[in-house]
Amino acid sequence: MIRRTLLLEYGLEPGWMAPFVEGLLKGDAMARRCGDCGIKSFPPHRTCACGGSGAVWVCLPGTATIQFRTTGSDGDFALVQFDGADTSSVVSLQGIAEGQTNGRISAPDDAVPKLVLGPIEENNR
Amino acid sequence: MPHHSVAVTGASLTPFNRRRDGTSWRDWVFDAYSTALAMSDLEPVDIEEIFLASESDFFSLQLNPASILATELGLGGVAVTRCEAGGASGQVAVHAGVRAIRAGGARHVLVLGVDPSASSLSGDAMRALYGFSFDAWTDGMAGVTSTALYALSYQAFAAHHGTTEADLASVTRQNRANAMRNPGAHLPRGDTAEQINESPMIASPYRRLHCSPLSDGAAALILSRRDAVPSTRRSAPGIAGIGASTDHMHLGARSDPGAFAAKTRAMERACAEADVMPKQIELAEIYDAYAGAQLQGVMALGLSDAPGRDHQDGDFAPDGRCPVNLSGGLMGQGAPVGATGVGQTATCALVLEGRYHAGLQPQTLPNYALADTHGGVCTTAAVTILQREAAV
Repeated sequence: MIRRTLLLEYGLEPGWMAPFVEGLLKGDAMARRCGDCGIKSFPPHRTCACGGSGAVWVCLPGTATIQFRTTGSDGDFALVQFDGADTSSVVSLQGIAEGQTNGRISAPDDAVPKLVLGPIEENNR
Repeated sequence: MPHHSVAVTGASLTPFNRRRDGTSWRDWVFDAYSTALAMSDLEPVDIEEIFLASESDFFSLQLNPASILATELGLGGVAVTRCEAGGASGQVAVHAGVRAIRAGGARHVLVLGVDPSASSLSGDAMRALYGFSFDAWTDGMAGVTSTALYALSYQAFAAHHGTTEADLASVTRQNRANAMRNPGAHLPRGDTAEQINESPMIASPYRRLHCSPLSDGAAALILSRRDAVPSTRRSAPGIAGIGASTDHMHLGARSDPGAFAAKTRAMERACAEADVMPKQIELAEIYDAYAGAQLQGVMALGLSDAPGRDHQDGDFAPDGRCPVNLSGGLMGQGAPVGATGVGQTATCALVLEGRYHAGLQPQTLPNYALADTHGGVCTTAAVTILQREAAV
């Protein structure tokens, strides 16, 4: 048996997605509004489905409605629609009970940017 | 530019499983290549180019594996290309080989697929790596797993088409039952619907027994220009059509997150090339990473407009109108990722020539067979239609 152990530490610059990534760390939902068709994408699209690439960043209210939810040993995840967005998002659910249908984007507690949806009442925003 | 027709002169798969015998991925490639070469009645010197499918260096801890394998196989000096498209890597490599021959760039090419997906890393490490196989900067940032993303997509499909837990069990039972007659299968099992429905929940509605395993293994094809096929191999089946497409990387940006739209487009392109309709397909190896993905695939490929019903009615059983995953599919035969698409195409070629496992080989040879592979949650799709060569 050939045994090797790698410890890899990545430092990836987010480039054009910097506002989105910084927003996640603060618990803000930063979307992109297409300058041509007005569609608001979250997660943001660099190039809109209409072909438009001129877009501006907009901050969504941060609340979202659960469309489909999956639960099991892999964790709790959902496909959700953020209020104000025209696309849906895959999020990690934290503290949202079965049957609860909405939540609010939540800042991660480990400083690693990630899409987390928590209960609306606990965020007090 | 010439457009040569392409034949499959050699096809081979190693067993797909979790190896515990001390062999390496290099050994598996050597075995698959040697068997395919022997079937082709060609010599090593006839091979002009290699296309290798291998999904990730993280599995093998070997960058630039194609050139390493050229040396290992005694084919040093040939041109090599490594092909990667996630789970679709193997079928993309097949397409690259087909295009090389069609374009007149080679008469005989070797297509290889390999990955040590089961034994080289821990399950936790593999799960973490696969979290990066979707858009790592968005969906991946949620920490979502492959099973969870597939589960969300399947839920959207089930909500639209009314498929049920019984349909998932039907697919699972059929594929694993087929695998029981495939001596190279990873998960030959005869679970009851109750056992399937009581297995641990991974990501609802997917339970452990609805999921395909990650496997070790390799597969090889030798593709030849039809006018260069050895006289002893005139029965070699042909590549009738290929097609590929992509879908939006974000599940939530798709107009229907339950539809495998890239697969539909890929199939339309392959059918147009082959000048056939989906209903003419008489055998299909479909990318069943999960039981529901097979239902979604059957629908997207145009093989059924009610896949749950047709599965339960036996349309896709070994004696049905279009046997699906005779091999056991990914769920039963297993999935060494880079080898999967190459192996699916090899399986189709072997069946079309009547060379498949005795317990699974249809008595009446199909005319057309379909190999369907995708990567991501059908973010990349690649399909190949093979045609039985008329008796010579």
